[in-house]
Amino acid sequence: MDLPDTALDGIRVVDLSQGIAGPYCTKLLADLGAEVIKVEPPDGDYTRRLGPFPGDVPDPEKSGLFIHLNGNKKSVTLDINEPAGRDALRRLLGTADVFVESEMPGRLSELELGYHDVHGDFPNLVYTSVTPFGQNGPYAGYKGNSLAAMALSGLMYVTGDPDKPPLVTGGEPGEYFGALHAWVGTLAAIEHHDQTGAGQHVDVSCLEALGSADEYNTTMYAWLGAVRRRFYSRHHIPTYPSEIFPCRDGHIVVIGGATGFPLLMAILIEQPELENNPLFQNLWLRTIQWEDFEKILRPYLAEHDWQDLLTRAQELRVPFAAVLDPQTLLDNEHLRERAFFAEIEQAGVGKLPIACHIFRMSETPLRCGPAPALGADNPVLEGSA
Amino acid sequence: MADLPLSGVRVLDLAQVYAGPTATRLLADLGADVIKVEGVTRMDITRNFVMPDNDSTDDYWNKAGYFVLRNGGKRSLTVDLGEGAGGAGVGILKKLAAECDVVVESFTPHVMAKLGMDYESLKAIRPDIIMISMSGYGQNGPWRDFAGYGMGLEPASGMSSITGYPGGDPLRTGISFTDPYSGIVGAGAVLSALVYRRRTGNGQYIDLSEQEAAIPIVGYALMNYAMNGRLPERKGNRSHWYAPQGCYRCADDDDWLIITVRDDAEWQALCAAIGRPDAAAKYPDVASRFEAHDEIDAMIEAWTESRDHMTAMHELQKGGVLAAAVLTPKEELFDEHLKERGFFDMVDTRCAGPRPVPHQLGAKFSAFEMDTARPSPKLGEHNKEILQDLLGMSDEEVAALAEQKVIGDEPVTAVPAQVMRMFVQWPLTSYMNMGALRVIEPDYREQLGITVPGHEPES
Repeated sequence: MDLPDTALDGIRVVDLSQGIAGPYCTKLLADLGAEVIKVEPPDGDYTRRLGPFPGDVPDPEKSGLFIHLNGNKKSVTLDINEPAGRDALRRLLGTADVFVESEMPGRLSELELGYHDVHGDFPNLVYTSVTPFGQNGPYAGYKGNSLAAMALSGLMYVTGDPDKPPLVTGGEPGEYFGALHAWVGTLAAIEHHDQTGAGQHVDVSCLEALGSADEYNTTMYAWLGAVRRRFYSRHHIPTYPSEIFPCRDGHIVVIGGATGFPLLMAILIEQPELENNPLFQNLWLRTIQWEDFEKILRPYLAEHDWQDLLTRAQELRVPFAAVLDPQTLLDNEHLRERAFFAEIEQAGVGKLPIACHIFRMSETPLRCGPAPALGADNPVLEGSA
Repeated sequence: MADLPLSGVRVLDLAQVYAGPTATRLLADLGADVIKVEGVTRMDITRNFVMPDNDSTDDYWNKAGYFVLRNGGKRSLTVDLGEGAGGAGVGILKKLAAECDVVVESFTPHVMAKLGMDYESLKAIRPDIIMISMSGYGQNGPWRDFAGYGMGLEPASGMSSITGYPGGDPLRTGISFTDPYSGIVGAGAVLSALVYRRRTGNGQYIDLSEQEAAIPIVGYALMNYAMNGRLPERKGNRSHWYAPQGCYRCADDDDWLIITVRDDAEWQALCAAIGRPDAAAKYPDVASRFEAHDEIDAMIEAWTESRDHMTAMHELQKGGVLAAAVLTPKEELFDEHLKERGFFDMVDTRCAGPRPVPHQLGAKFSAFEMDTARPSPKLGEHNKEILQDLLGMSDEEVAALAEQKVIGDEPVTAVPAQVMRMFVQWPLTSYMNMGALRVIEPDYREQLGITVPGHEPES
């Protein structure tokens, strides 16, 4: 017997979700080999309208965010506000192992498509709900997004400068965290199903997904009674400096690491006498008198380029890091040699790089593919009747 | 409730610090038997972070808050990986690997090969083994040997290029963002491999680079560059798509609220809620709202400034507006929604008494309940039971390993113990004076309703 060449070969997912969290969850399932049937409303997943678009000309088949999140899926269109659409969705669910949805809690129950409505007919189905705040609790009916998850998770309060408003992390991280937790939850439910035959409801909250990334914020209160506050996004754990500084041609992350001070950093910035400077010798002094430390560091960095600083630091095993942007990510020699970006051919757009290979499996490599045109697979609906 | 889905799965966990331990903590919560491997000369460094009441006396390494969060429910084995006792420690690990389904490691590349524990070697010991390497930059490529710290990997993933105030430098999140993120990715990768193994009997090797794992978060900006050659500008809390969006000052000190208006209906709702129906007509579409963003922000803040952020959030949400309070970490602990969802477990940590610990997985299952409320292990706590139950060692053999310092239950540090005890205390008063803390509340235990050994309330 030939072994399947993907990890989730033979698993069928029906995906009613829109936006980022649900679709990125099902994209990971698709990249792992599951057959994902994306059920879109007649006017499409709303990310088809969010762009970016080539030449800034809106076109639901050319939205960059949609293409990024929906590779390898099939697309069917159904209007679940109509009885016929709901019947068709039910028929699809009868063929599915997994259902993923991101509607406001209670909305699918109104349409008799809630977990309890379908569990009796499809007891083996893994039913994953991805919502901003989860299926119950006082905020369950509240509106949410990644920014709201940043705010309520406490992460925003500790991000940014002390004299400015709290700052959100770019790129909608609450959505991506929700996606990963929905993916892990769904996989755990598949494992449970493969052992017991039983499906279940997996209730994912993007707020709790992002909140679980609480490195030590609530812990500082629960262990010390101390309420952490944003301070240049700087850590309280003993690591100063570990932040981004300007350099001659951009930015560099300066991190001393476990072994960088005092000697290696002094060598690195070509002032070996600094080995005996108290700011180099004493971590807590440097942390507290950080402005004095920066007066030593910044002028040197301003005269050197990031690649030079990065290379020399890493040669000394001092863990400096690069500050990459979309251009330098796509040009990066390291990512190129690892073939991180996959090139896809997207109909109507042409070749595009896709951030795909988030891990490498030796036996079942991830697949990377283009996103479907709206309703391209509607004939699937006939087959499921 | 059914058995947990990973009951019967045993994990040899050689990872330390944050990303790897997050992955294995999730596997433990889902029922796996996770054996966390440390050494007395290389204990997990996070056993030094966040002491209860900043107290570093006694066995402080068993009390650290940072360690408790990521290591609950695991068993601790300490083995020396050096040449001691003829390399006995590595020999033990290889024998243990034969008893395990999954091996997780976070060394820099080549360390496992040097120990004779690379995937090919482990596969020879245990043919269906699943092994995952979680490193900063992956197992090949010119940066593979770079030392990778979490604080550097968020910028290296591109995320910091889209994080920051308008016109300012790139900024990091106030946590080591890529660590928890790639930890979850690692757990999912292992689960995927377990699903495949259940069907085929085959194991495999997984190479996870923390830098790469987080790059998809930059997806929109990457596409904009690929399609239009355009680099992102940092825009604080504003949105690509929606206006207004921002973080608005509320009545109390350092008190903030976020608002996003995603369509015209939400704009009408906001204007009604803040008593400015005139603005609804004045800025009827998103283009006009982008144009007048500064004025609109001032108008919103004139309303928020007279309310505390919780009142403002509830008022706006009830009016159909997407609004959320920027909670302090303390407020998060007391939040009514998270409380009702059971997001924090009161964990009996033993050495530090009961403490609230957040869940590590933001998912709830109807068919089983994850095992989330267990304490983290003391250093070397399970040496004897692991060596005896899994490797069949006798009392004498275990005692001999302790005698030879191959195993142990107290850290051996490069600096004198009293220096370490000073180092793990944080200069909280200085942090407070710098402005890096909002407040220190000595009565926090009473507020949280916890009784800690040595701190019983006076009767």
